[in-house]
Amino acid sequence: MYFVPNPELGNKIIILMAALVLVLQIAAVGQRGIISSIRIFGVQSFLLAGIATVIAYFNKAEHVYVAAILTVLLKAVVLPRVLERLVEKIGIRREIEPLINVPLSILTAGGLTLLGYVVAASFYHPEETAGPAALGHNTLPVAIALFLIGFFVMVNRRKALTQVLGLLSLENGMFLAAISLTYGMPLVVDIGIFFDVLVAVMVLGILVFRIREAFDSMDVSKLRKLRE
Amino acid sequence: MTMLPLGAVFALSLVAYSGGAVASLLSWREAGLARRICCGTALAGAILTGIGGLLALVQETPAAWSVSSGIPLFSYSFTYDALAGFFNLVLAILAIAVSIYSFSYLKEFEGKRNIGVFGFLFHLMLLSLTVVFTAANAFLFLIGWEVLALVAAGLVAFYHEDRASRRAGFLYAVMSHIDGGCLLLGFALLIKVSGSAEFATFHNIAAQMSSGELTAAFLLFFLGFGMKAGIIPFHIWLPAAHPVAPSNVSGLLSGIVIKCGIYGMIRIFLDSFGVVPSWVGLLVLIVGVVSAVLGVLYALMEHDLKRLLAYSSIENVGIIFMGIGAALIFRANGHPLLAGLALIAATFHTLNHAMFKCLLFLGAGSVLHSTGTRNMENMGGLIRPMPVTAFCFLIGAVAISGLPPLNGFVSEWFTYQSLLAGYGATGRLTRILFPLAGSMLALTGALAAACFVKAFAITFLALPRELKQHEVHESPRSMLVGMGFLATACVVLGVGATWVLPLFDGMMNQLLGQRVVGHFITGNGLVLAASTPAGGTVSTAVIGVGLMVLLLPAIFLVKAGAKQFGRKRGPAWDCGLPGLTSQNEYTSTAFSKALRMVFSVLYQPRREIQSVFDISPYFPKEIRFESGIEPTFEKRLYNPLKQLILSWSKRMRAIQAGSIHAYLVYIFITLILLLLFGVRP
Repeated sequence: MYFVPNPELGNKIIILMAALVLVLQIAAVGQRGIISSIRIFGVQSFLLAGIATVIAYFNKAEHVYVAAILTVLLKAVVLPRVLERLVEKIGIRREIEPLINVPLSILTAGGLTLLGYVVAASFYHPEETAGPAALGHNTLPVAIALFLIGFFVMVNRRKALTQVLGLLSLENGMFLAAISLTYGMPLVVDIGIFFDVLVAVMVLGILVFRIREAFDSMDVSKLRKLRE
Repeated sequence: MTMLPLGAVFALSLVAYSGGAVASLLSWREAGLARRICCGTALAGAILTGIGGLLALVQETPAAWSVSSGIPLFSYSFTYDALAGFFNLVLAILAIAVSIYSFSYLKEFEGKRNIGVFGFLFHLMLLSLTVVFTAANAFLFLIGWEVLALVAAGLVAFYHEDRASRRAGFLYAVMSHIDGGCLLLGFALLIKVSGSAEFATFHNIAAQMSSGELTAAFLLFFLGFGMKAGIIPFHIWLPAAHPVAPSNVSGLLSGIVIKCGIYGMIRIFLDSFGVVPSWVGLLVLIVGVVSAVLGVLYALMEHDLKRLLAYSSIENVGIIFMGIGAALIFRANGHPLLAGLALIAATFHTLNHAMFKCLLFLGAGSVLHSTGTRNMENMGGLIRPMPVTAFCFLIGAVAISGLPPLNGFVSEWFTYQSLLAGYGATGRLTRILFPLAGSMLALTGALAAACFVKAFAITFLALPRELKQHEVHESPRSMLVGMGFLATACVVLGVGATWVLPLFDGMMNQLLGQRVVGHFITGNGLVLAASTPAGGTVSTAVIGVGLMVLLLPAIFLVKAGAKQFGRKRGPAWDCGLPGLTSQNEYTSTAFSKALRMVFSVLYQPRREIQSVFDISPYFPKEIRFESGIEPTFEKRLYNPLKQLILSWSKRMRAIQAGSIHAYLVYIFITLILLLLFGVRP
C-alpha cells in the first residue's frame, strides 16, 4: 500500500522525536557515568537521523537520505564505538565530576532551553511559511537548546573526554538546525561537517592521551600550568 | 595579435616556476642536481616571463583570462596588460641575471645548506611576483602578495643560524603582515563601493567614492604599498633584511620585490582610481623627497657594503615616488603631457634602479663570496684580484650616481624636468613645492655620487687593508656573466634610451589615455626633450659616442707611449712621502666625516674616546675610540610604539587565565549575549 504523505502526521512524528532528543540531552547533563553518556549520545544521533529521514520523505529531498545514513553510520555507530574503546584503553570507569552539581546543572539546562525558545520565537512566522515547507520549522528552538546545552556540558566538565561529548552534542544541534531550516544543506557541506567531526574526535582522542601522559591526569584544569 | 602566444607563454612560465619549486625540493639530497634545477628552471621561466612582458608591452589590447572559483568575490582572473608586461619584463631581466649568477654562487652552499629549500623558495618568489603583477582580482592579488611576503621572509632568514638574520626575517614578516592588513582593508573599501573584487570594476572608482572613503582608501593603500616599497618612515625593515639575505636574493629583493609597492601604487592610484585630488599627489611627492634625502644620507654613513646599498634603495624609491607624486598632481590639474613626463620618469627609474641595484648587490655578493666580509673598512685594493667584478660594480656605481650617459642619468633627468616644469603649470602651493623638490633631488644626486665614490673607492681602490691579497680571488665565470648582463643593460638603457622609451607608449596610453612618448624624443630619434616651456634637451647617444671618440685616442696614445718610452710603475698620491702604508689611507668613516659634521643635526653623531694609562696621562697604554650615529627613527618612533603595544598586551594578559574552562565560558557568554542582542525587540 502506498503511504500518502500527510504533512500533519510528519509534523507530529518530528515533534515527538525532537522532544525525545531534547530530553536525552538534558539527561546527558545529569548523567554521571562516562559509558552511559556515550550511549545517550548514540541514541540521540539515531533519533536525529530519524528526523532527517522523515523530512527527506515528506519534502522529497533525496540527498537528505544520504545525510541521514551518514549520521547513523558515523554518529550512532562509529563514534560511540571509538569513544568506548578509548575509555577502555585509558581504563577509567570513574564517575564524571562536573564543576556544578547535578541538580543545578539540570536547572541551568532548563534555563538554556527556555533561552532557545525565546531566541527562536523571533524567527518563527507560521503564517508566512504554511504548508509542507514549514515542516520541521518548529524544531529550531530544540536545535538552539541542543547547541547551548552542548556548550554548557563542555564548560561544565573537567575531563577532556567528556568535553568531546559536549562538542558532539553541540554539533548535533547544528545538524538539526540545518536540516530543519534548509531541508539539508548541499551534500558537500554535510560531508564536510561530518569529516570535521571525525577529525575533531581523532585529534581530541590523541590529545587525551597526550594530556594524560604529560599530567598523569585527564583533568584539563591542569593545563593551566602551560600558561607560563 | 591574438591572445594565444601570450597566454601560452604566461601559462608555461607559471608551470616552469611551480615545477622548478617542486623539483628542487624533491632533489634536495643531491646538492649539485638541486643547484642545476634551481638555476635552470628559474632561467627558463624568466625567459618566458620576459617574452610575455615584451609581447604585452607591444600589443595593443590587453590579454585577459578568468576562471571562476565558485567562491564569492574570488576568481582566478589574470590581465596581462602593458603595465603588467612592463613589471614582468623588469622581473624577467633580473631573474635571468640572478639565475645565471646563482649557478656558481650556490656552489658554496653545497654540503653546507639545503639548496633544495633555497630553490623552492626562490621559485615561489618568482611565481608570486609574476602573479602579483598579472592578478586582476583583489583576492588573487592579495594571495600572491602574502605568498611573496612569506617566501621573502624565509629567504631573508635563510642563514638562520645567525641571530641577525632571524631577527630581520621576523621584522620583515611583521611589516609584511601590517602592510597586507592595510591592503586588505583598502580593497574591502573598493569592493564595498564597486560590489566586486575584479580590478576591471575598479576603473575610475574615485568618481563613485565619497571624499571620506577616498581619503581612507588612499591612506590605507599608501601605507600598504609604501611599507612594501620601504619609504621613510616605514623603512626600518629594509636595511635590516636586505643585507642579511644571500646576495643573489638581496639583488632581487631590492631590484624587484620592493617595486611591488611601486606597481601597486601605479595600478591602484593611476590605473584604478582615475583622477584623484592633488593633495594625494602632494603627499606622495613629499614622502618621496624625504625618503630620497634621508635615504642617501643614511647610506653615506654606512660601512657595511650591503647595508649601504639597502639605504640607497630607500633613496631611489623616494625618487620614484617623486615622479609618481608629480604625475598625480599634473593629472589632477589637467596636464596630461606633464603627467606623462613624470610617469615616464618614475617607471623608467623603476626599471633602471632594478638594473643597477641588482648589479651592485651581485657585485657586493661577489666581494662577500671572495673576502667573506661585508665591512668596507677591511677591504681596499680589490680591483687587482677582482678586475671584472670591480668594473661591473663601477658601471653600477656610475649609473646609480646619475652620471651621463648611463641609465640612471636619463630617468633622473626626466624627474628633474618634470619637477621644474611643475613651477609654471600648477597652483600656488605646488609652485613652491616643485622647485623645492627639484633642489632636494639635486642634493640627493650629489650625495648619491659621494656615497658611491666612497663605496667604490674604499672597496676596490687604494692599498689592501686587513685582507690578504693572495687569498682574494675573482669570482667564477657564471657570476661574472650575470653581472656583465646587468652592466650591459645599464649601458644600453642609458645610451639607447631614445630607442627603449617608445616601448613605454602602450603603458602610457593605458594609464593616461594618451600616447605621450613621441613628444619627448626629437632630433631623428636621438635626442630626449622635456617638451615644456623651460625644458631642456639631452642626448645620451651623442654623449656616449662623444665619450668613445675621446676615450679611444686616449687609450691608443697611452698604449703607443708605453711602447715607445717603456712602462714605469710608481706610487700614486703619496705627496712626495714614500713608504705610506694602508694605515694612512682614508677609511670609510673618515671619508664621510665632513658630511657627518654638516648634517650633525640629523645624525646626532656620538663619539667616545677612552684612554687607559698607568701613571701619566701623557703615556696612554691604550686608546679606545668609538663613534656612531643615532638611529633616530628606531629611537623616536618605533621604540615608543613597541613599548605602548607591550604595555597594552600586559594588561590584556589578565584575561588569559590558562584554563580551557575559562576560555569556553568566555565564548559561551559572548554567544548568549549575541543571541540576546540578535532577538532584542
